[in-house]
Amino acid sequence: MATVTAAPVTTPPSVRKGPRAKPLPVIGRIAVWIYLLLCMVPLVFMVATSFKPSGIAKQLPPAWIFKPTFSHYVQVLQGGSGTSVGFDRLLFNSAAVTIGSTLLTIALAVPAAYALSLRAFRPRKGLSSWILSTYMFPPIVAVIPIFIYAGKLGLIDTYPVLIVPYAAFNLPIAVWILRSSILQIPYEIQESAMVDGASRWMVLRKIILPLLTPSIATVAILSAILSWNEFLFALSLTRAAAKTAPVGIQEFTGMFGTDWGNLTAAATIIAAPIVIMTLILRRRIVSGMTFGAVK
Amino acid sequence: MTDTLAAKPSPTVTEKPEGYGLRPRRERKGETLVPWVLMTPTLVLLALMTIMPTIYLLRASVRNDTLLNTNGRFVGLANYSNALTDPTFWHSLLITIGFVVVAVALEMLLGMALSLPLAGERLSSTWGTTLLLLPFAITPVVSAMIFKELLNPNYGWVDYYLGQLGLPAHIEWLSHPTTAWIALIGLDVWQWTPFVALILIAGLQSLPGEPREAAAIDGASTWQMFWHVTLPQLKPFIAIALVLRTIQAFKTFDYFKVMTGGGPGDSTEILNLAIYRIALQSFRIGAAAAIAILLLILLSLLVPALLRGVGRNADPEEA
Repeated sequence: MATVTAAPVTTPPSVRKGPRAKPLPVIGRIAVWIYLLLCMVPLVFMVATSFKPSGIAKQLPPAWIFKPTFSHYVQVLQGGSGTSVGFDRLLFNSAAVTIGSTLLTIALAVPAAYALSLRAFRPRKGLSSWILSTYMFPPIVAVIPIFIYAGKLGLIDTYPVLIVPYAAFNLPIAVWILRSSILQIPYEIQESAMVDGASRWMVLRKIILPLLTPSIATVAILSAILSWNEFLFALSLTRAAAKTAPVGIQEFTGMFGTDWGNLTAAATIIAAPIVIMTLILRRRIVSGMTFGAVK
Repeated sequence: MTDTLAAKPSPTVTEKPEGYGLRPRRERKGETLVPWVLMTPTLVLLALMTIMPTIYLLRASVRNDTLLNTNGRFVGLANYSNALTDPTFWHSLLITIGFVVVAVALEMLLGMALSLPLAGERLSSTWGTTLLLLPFAITPVVSAMIFKELLNPNYGWVDYYLGQLGLPAHIEWLSHPTTAWIALIGLDVWQWTPFVALILIAGLQSLPGEPREAAAIDGASTWQMFWHVTLPQLKPFIAIALVLRTIQAFKTFDYFKVMTGGGPGDSTEILNLAIYRIALQSFRIGAAAAIAILLLILLSLLVPALLRGVGRNADPEEA
């Protein structure tokens, strides 16, 4: 049997189309790897320069053999690196805002996602669509009114003025990821628990939340990444006390040029936590960023 | 507990529980109230951050408020007619759309080209996706700062290595409109092509193999296979990547602010940057509000595509 089916498959195409069809993928494969390696240049530049002694940082041709130094990292983390607010303080602000907005996102999204999964809740479809559609809302449009009202309320340059909008802009992704994982839990389990006398609260706590833990982790990481990276709101709504690292890093470019060692060390510190999390949780992050549309 | 679970395995029993008497009364009481209570905080916050700003801007756009004096007077549609007759608005609009179209098109084509070889074998897929994830994971402001230094005409690696290859070197990349655009689009493509590629790789790996096997048996060429079998199968994933990237590209702010600040001149001042400058640097709230509302109208045209593309694929209820 095997020889019979194999013969017509291999002989005619491999004789006629084989030579033409094969080389293209090979060249394509090489091109793909060249592209991927070229894409690493900015990262190699960033990491290598952060370990170079100041004297050779801007040397051309770039120095490839050197004794690595941690002095830039030490200087940056101790806050003595030329930014108006110490970089250590900027990192602390970034972390505080990220943690605050991530907790707020989860606290709001879990109950909302549960409500949107209840079959008896009629407007669930319309509300889900509306929540998804707010993803297209451009932050630049929100920033002007928030700037004016935060000014009137004396909230400029505080943590809440960043935490609250960040949570709001993370909500569409969070609600959608959580809702689709709740919908994947068989409704019959919930129903039979309630027939047995469990309250809605008990169903949520004892059945849904334990099964939802992995999705809550995905939501937490995604909203942490989005909040950590955010720039527009942080730039417009903070001055010094609540300024975050992505805003502060711009100050490494001063009147007298840029201190590459300190800039790249700070850049590596900002990027590292996200890179590590993304590499560990690759599939979940891509899936989450598509609202769960790609598994 | 286990008894009841085991006793009703067939969905037909649970599908119509109206006859049980026990369930309807108990559930109907909280049926409408509980979900609304659970939804309220989310709905209030989202409304506060989307509907309220829209209402505020609609009102501001027909007044001549400034940041320092928010007690301006009603000026009708003057802000809109000023924007629509101002060539700088049309310039901003045009380059915004141009940026989105060119960057997203390049990312889709490159992402597709990367995904096909990387989706196949396990080993190259693992290493390939690792390399793809690295640019994708870098904080956008950091990428912009790094690109800016790499393009430095005196010390930057780009000019140095271009010179080594015998290509024109010592280009003041960010001082000329054309090269500034190449740099900005290059940065966007560098950072976001991986996102497209990762979506398409996930898509390719989830497709059933039978149609491709059948086509192979029928002697389809590589190109025929791609065009007539793989591409149609991949359509929903292409749609998701296209819609999400288009929306994200319209929201781009960091790259432009950090790399060029809209310059040289106003050659890279996209709408987001124009709104920011007019509102928070020139303090003309009314003028900025009118442009913001026009941007909102433009973007809301994308909502149906978003709901179709994402909603159908992410929503288990739609199946």
